[in-house]
Amino acid sequence: MMLVNGFLLGIASGGVCLAYCAPVLVPYLLGEARTVRANLVPVGGFLGGRLAGYMVFAVLAWLTHSALIENLPHRKAVLGVVTIGLALLLIVYGFTGRDRHCPAIPAAAAAKPGRRAFLLMPVSLGFLTGVNVCPPFLLAFSSAAQLSQLWQSLLFFAAFFVGTSVYIAPLPLVGLAGGCEKIRIIGRLAAGVVGVFYLYSGIVSLISVLH
Amino acid sequence: MAEGDSKTRRLAKAIVLTLPIALLMPMMIMGGQSGPKEPFQIVGMIVAYGFTVIAFFLIAFTGRTYKYRSLFFIIYAVALVLTFAPAMIEARGSMAVTQSEMAQGKTPFCHIVITATLIPAVLSRTIIFPGSMVEGFASIGSMLVLWLGASIALGRGWCSWACFYGGLDEGFSRIGRKPIIKNISRKWVYLPFAILVAIMLLSAAMLSPMYCGWLCPFKAVTEFEAVTSATVLVQTIIFVSLFAGLVVIGPILTKRRTQCGLFCPMGALQSLTNKLNIFDIRIDPDKCVQCGQCETSCPTFSIDRESIGKGKTRMTCTKCGKCVDECPKHAISYHIKGTPVGVKSHIARMAFVYPAFLFMAIIASGMISGAVYRILLLATTGSLVK
Repeated sequence: MMLVNGFLLGIASGGVCLAYCAPVLVPYLLGEARTVRANLVPVGGFLGGRLAGYMVFAVLAWLTHSALIENLPHRKAVLGVVTIGLALLLIVYGFTGRDRHCPAIPAAAAAKPGRRAFLLMPVSLGFLTGVNVCPPFLLAFSSAAQLSQLWQSLLFFAAFFVGTSVYIAPLPLVGLAGGCEKIRIIGRLAAGVVGVFYLYSGIVSLISVLH
Repeated sequence: MAEGDSKTRRLAKAIVLTLPIALLMPMMIMGGQSGPKEPFQIVGMIVAYGFTVIAFFLIAFTGRTYKYRSLFFIIYAVALVLTFAPAMIEARGSMAVTQSEMAQGKTPFCHIVITATLIPAVLSRTIIFPGSMVEGFASIGSMLVLWLGASIALGRGWCSWACFYGGLDEGFSRIGRKPIIKNISRKWVYLPFAILVAIMLLSAAMLSPMYCGWLCPFKAVTEFEAVTSATVLVQTIIFVSLFAGLVVIGPILTKRRTQCGLFCPMGALQSLTNKLNIFDIRIDPDKCVQCGQCETSCPTFSIDRESIGKGKTRMTCTKCGKCVDECPKHAISYHIKGTPVGVKSHIARMAFVYPAFLFMAIIASGMISGAVYRILLLATTGSLVK
């Protein structure tokens, strides 16, 4: 029953999860300008990172019951730090990424980053969005906090993750936009723009804690 | 006009082409009302009528599109500011819109908001804007219908023939003789598309029109949210800075439309409609001598070496006509897709310019009339507001 509840909660609130995750993942996928099939790897990495984030909070939910999210300053502080981390990652990716136009960088090298770098970014983005205290996440957290055993909390979050992932699964289709250099530039710049907005949001969240 | 026409023949053709506009405009300027009551309004309507008819006549007679379109377009944008801001002050006592008025759905809708509303409208069947669907002078429904119709007819020509903001940065871009900043990295011409992607996604996440709230520089001269919180203060600082940078300083330094060419997400969305539109601008490779004049003069960065090589403009072309007029070899022309390039281009030009100008004139004439009224009011009472 607990698994079903977690899954149904994920399905019910997955649309909101998609709305929160898409501004992070879609620009990244556009910025890599890969095919639909090749996008399965970074989307998988993103989901893996997100699952890891959920598991961290499953443990925290079990340890603190709901104290962590019921305490507004704590919640805002977590949100602020996580959002700033996410923002910096997006800004670095968007505005300082290797530019294939640079004659000093061979085109092949710019187009094919190392496997580790290729996975590190989506996993990091997934982890940081996973631990972001968005509305569906708050629902899951408060439900998990009622569970008495750690394994129950972990399973609940895992089921919630599966439910929400249904909505994120179609995102590799972003690859249909094409694999040209122009799309890559647009995706990277969009990631930077989203990053700037998140940076502002994170700073505001932290300032509100200090006040 | 076709090359080789005698002056008399050109004059006759221009008069015939101008006649329908001359007959149609009085009705459009009066807006279906019986007639103006105040003398200033009558003067405003006469000026707007005369200016519209003369502008089109000159476009038709001289064969030059950009010069007269640009003049009309700039005055259209200035007229918007002169009519809209005082009207807001008369209606609500300030250019600032309050939270209460937004909650009542009294915010006028403009076409740029469309970029932010698309995804939420598809996903939740909700328009995330505090305006009315059908009521008021700028309702969401009327603006959507106007935009859809014009986009089919003009493509991104919308940005040089219909948008009531574009004339502001075009106006500033015409100040000064030579550009101070000449080289802008090609990477930045993709920024409007990136902002479009970011705005669409963030607006869906926040269920709020993010561009209007945070970035739209034209709020500085139309209406803006009353500063009641730190967030709104930050938003105000951002949009005023963007207005100064992209609409005033950028165009003066580059002699280009920096807001339209390097920032506006609506322009990016509009570029996609260029793919559906039957008109485009083509470069005849047999006549082109690769002088680069079109590349350096294009107001919206829509021509580069790559596009010249392909014999066409980039998809961001606003069909303003500047390159067509300035090409020393007459290698660039308006073109109807599917027809031979450079053959009977005067017909293609008029087939595009006629509806485009008519559309602009219908919207602009009321604003120009209103602006003249406001100027006369200012001259006689010392205030733009009644």
